[in-house]
Amino acid sequence: MASETPTISSFHSPHWDIFCVVVDNYGDIGVTWRLAKQLAAEYQIDINLWVDDLNSFSHILPELDKSVAQQRFHDVNIFKWNQPLDISYDPGALLIEAFACELPSQVISLIGALHQKHKAKESIIKPPVWLNLEYLSAEDWVDGCHGLPSMQASGIKKHFYFPGFTSKSGGLICESTLFKLRDEWQSNTNNKVALFKKLGLTGITAKDFVISVFSYETTALTALCKHWIQCNSITNKTSPVSKRIHALFPMGKSLSSILDLLNVPLQAIKPGQQFCLGNLVIHILPMTDQTQFDRLLWSCDFNIVRGEDSFLRAQWAAKPFIWHIYPQEDDYHLVKLQAFVNIYSLKLENDVANTWSKTNFAFNQQDSNVVEHWQQLISAQSTLEQHAKHWPIDAKKDADLASRLVEFVKTS
Amino acid sequence: MKTAHELRPGNVIMLDGSPWVVQKTETTRSGRNAAIVKMKLKNVLQDSTTETTFKGEDKMEDIILERLACTYSYYADPMYVFMDAEYNQYDVEADNLGDAGAYIVDGMEEECSVTFYEGKAISVELPVTIVREVTYTEPAARGDTSGKVMKPATITGGGTVTVAEFVKIGDKIEIDTRTNEFKKRV
Repeated sequence: MASETPTISSFHSPHWDIFCVVVDNYGDIGVTWRLAKQLAAEYQIDINLWVDDLNSFSHILPELDKSVAQQRFHDVNIFKWNQPLDISYDPGALLIEAFACELPSQVISLIGALHQKHKAKESIIKPPVWLNLEYLSAEDWVDGCHGLPSMQASGIKKHFYFPGFTSKSGGLICESTLFKLRDEWQSNTNNKVALFKKLGLTGITAKDFVISVFSYETTALTALCKHWIQCNSITNKTSPVSKRIHALFPMGKSLSSILDLLNVPLQAIKPGQQFCLGNLVIHILPMTDQTQFDRLLWSCDFNIVRGEDSFLRAQWAAKPFIWHIYPQEDDYHLVKLQAFVNIYSLKLENDVANTWSKTNFAFNQQDSNVVEHWQQLISAQSTLEQHAKHWPIDAKKDADLASRLVEFVKTS
Repeated sequence: MKTAHELRPGNVIMLDGSPWVVQKTETTRSGRNAAIVKMKLKNVLQDSTTETTFKGEDKMEDIILERLACTYSYYADPMYVFMDAEYNQYDVEADNLGDAGAYIVDGMEEECSVTFYEGKAISVELPVTIVREVTYTEPAARGDTSGKVMKPATITGGGTVTVAEFVKIGDKIEIDTRTNEFKKRV
């Protein structure tokens, strides 16, 4: 249904709108899609998710029809967001611009007009609560900025909503049943073997050491793969355990870092393919939806993750991980990495915390010393695993992002 | 129009039909290099203050109000008194100086810009660079001569600036008042 000039409805529908611009492939849409699904499932909120790129979205929601402008999955209305907007926007109770995306000018002028009318006459419906959902960071300043209003020229207020790890922040996206489902999954080894089989990854046994790799390009990954090829044991604190290493790579940037080792052009590589290189078997992962991706992280012994969405899911997986953070100008991403390392390491033994920190920084700084740090880190695998199991409870605290968001909207 | 990133203490912006003095700004980086600017604003008409956050690239109407070049004269709690070239005195509330207040010291010679709204002095903008003496800082760590290591230093007037490792007590340093950043030793 197309409408050139959106108009103010005569009733105030309680739905929420989330606008998302896909900048990198799965980060922004990954976060907003998880949030939309959770709000619909756990709070029965009617959610409209406006997305500018259905093609990228379809990679994590394979049922999505890229050619259809309006469709519904998991009780969420998915709208293709064209410029200018060709689907009528009807103001609801909440309007979220995800990650500071620029809202369509029609939407801004509509809620501005609604604000002016409501100001003049209170019986006229209020404009929606307007939020800018920001990026996740463990930095101290987040607490001081979370929830603050941002007065626009029209007088309408937009609030900055910052996800975070403290009680004063906006919290972290985590579905209410996630930890229970994860624990059930991890309690039976057959689940992971069955998952690998389902994904077309053959030859992995329950005793093998499995690493998932979802990073940006980095020579640190090349160095690690070279080490894994020659490495014939995984050492724990008491003794070396002979284990074959399986590294699971999706098609994409991680794979670009190791093409020289595979000696095959990128175009010739297909999901399900495997490359045996010494003690290392590299498997090419097919694209999966978010549920399968979570299970994949739950099933691996170690996860290398990137960005925001997979970074958080790796924490919820309760497994040791390396975070490849999105690079920023002047290496500012290292400040963000340090802030996270500081809080993640609070309850870790000093020497393990130090090694975990060094491994993460080496990976992010393309430092070949990553191999040396990795060797020390992997000798503390059991300590890291114990810590990874406790961390999600500490990080989630008393409430997740969706529940804090619902409360925030109620009181705004 | 100015972006939120360009606004400095002393600027006056128009929001929802009211003039607001910028008292304090704090810029941080969000994801993908985007800046977040936290500000303390004071409503000139209603005398109320608010803490607010903007995207760095948000554009705001920067009001050009009457301005006069003045020098700092003395402090009469809670007002700072400035004087123009014709010896007229203007009182500015200490609150309105925001972060700039840390650089106001007795005997300062730098010329400031006092802003007026409807005849009332409402804010002061400092010169872009200002020179102050370091009254306390820790000694430099041995062996580090790169100049990249930074440490906190207290300056005349009691403010704190992050300075290069080689800076010592008694040194005079140049500071960028827009960002509170150390520029060089003079």
